[in-house]
Amino acid sequence: MKKIVTPITDEAINEIAVGDMVYLSGYIYTGRDAVLPKVLELIESDGLEKAGINLQGSVIFHTAVSPAGVGPTSSNKLEIEGSIPALSKAGVKLHLGKGELSSKTIEELDKYNSVYAVIPPVTALLESKTLERKLVAFPELGMEALHLLKVDSFPAIIAAAHGKSIY
Amino acid sequence: MTMKQQEMIINKIKDTLVRAGSTFREDQKEAYRQAIKKETLPRAKWVLETILEDAEVAEKNRSPLCDDTGIPHVFLEVGPNKSVTGADLEAIRLGVAEGLRELPGRPMGIKGDDKQRLDQSGGLDEDSAGVLPAPILIKQVEEDVLRAHVLMLGGGPAIRGITHRVFHKHSVSVVTDEIVKRASEAVALLGCSPCALSVGIGRSQFEASSLMIEAMVYSNFAVQSDLEKKITDKVNESNVGPLGLKGATSVLATFMKVGPQRASGIRVVCMRPSCCFEPRMASVEL
Ligand code: SF4
Repeated sequence: MKKIVTPITDEAINEIAVGDMVYLSGYIYTGRDAVLPKVLELIESDGLEKAGINLQGSVIFHTAVSPAGVGPTSSNKLEIEGSIPALSKAGVKLHLGKGELSSKTIEELDKYNSVYAVIPPVTALLESKTLERKLVAFPELGMEALHLLKVDSFPAIIAAAHGKSIY
Repeated sequence: MTMKQQEMIINKIKDTLVRAGSTFREDQKEAYRQAIKKETLPRAKWVLETILEDAEVAEKNRSPLCDDTGIPHVFLEVGPNKSVTGADLEAIRLGVAEGLRELPGRPMGIKGDDKQRLDQSGGLDEDSAGVLPAPILIKQVEEDVLRAHVLMLGGGPAIRGITHRVFHKHSVSVVTDEIVKRASEAVALLGCSPCALSVGIGRSQFEASSLMIEAMVYSNFAVQSDLEKKITDKVNESNVGPLGLKGATSVLATFMKVGPQRASGIRVVCMRPSCCFEPRMASVEL
């Protein structure tokens, strides 16, 4: 098992290959279809810093954050997959979710040296590996707001990297 | 019904719902252990081990197996000398609400009138108990018992499940081949595999869906009929694998209930690709 720690560097991404089983630790953002288009608007309007968001070397986990815990939603939903190129360009190094992505998205990931990993929907296990959780932006979206989690060894598999896909 | 009796039913249903949402049954754990032994692809093996580890942590902490905690479905068995009153049903409803708060269930109930609930403009109910249970199914049984089964049915299998007729052409294989075809496509799209296929075959959409639930209620991963085994083996040939990442284990078992049929050219088949945590069910005698 490889270990990945945030913030993720370009060098670390270069050492990752499709099919690698990894443990992910550090701070990770959460967001899904409701909030990711809003984060894209912040990128466009140069509003990330003011909103307290730093995407350099970051991870975005496609999940809601509810009292039940966290777990991946399908990353190929229009708003989620559509956010991947712009977020990668803005510094996101790892997108974490589930399901197959299109070949176009895989190319875009490669262009910005970013990767996609899938994580099993193992909520109880993830809860036991979550050290902190904090609301960052868009509180009106409730469990779909942008959150930041501090995690220790989230299990994942690299599903798309360097133009290649596991599917 | 006395207050004490009502409280007893509420508490039993509450506890059963929490167990359903947080616990694998022994036959389910064993099915995973066997699948782990058989898998040769390291990442498929690893996914299965991670799911089993999740089940162990969830059981220990009585916390949700998955953050999609599901929609509660209650199935009642009623023996010859038992009865179910409106007060019993109300206590069951209250028990479900308490169970959802305790688990806790994901607060995903949509508020508002018909239109608002359709387009989600009514907003989310922040109370976990805002997720109302599906209509209760009642089955007459020979055993003299009043027993409740609580199932927590996730959204993924609801998206990929199909209830549709099959023209049987007087052949069992025509029906099972169609189930295999529908299931193979559904399992590939589900993502949260390995699945347990839940199948009901009846004379109407309602009957087929009820039989599908009954198949889940009486399910046992270790007890498979020839037909169930044949469907499982055929769908596993698709090589979808755990989490859709390829491998031998796309389906762990099939649970099928064939009901009465009518003289006609069709059978109505309800096929639910139950995800890696389902049937997410626990039972209690009331
Ligand atoms: S399909 Fe099952 S495992 Fe997947 S998110 Fe829904 S409840 Fe969880």
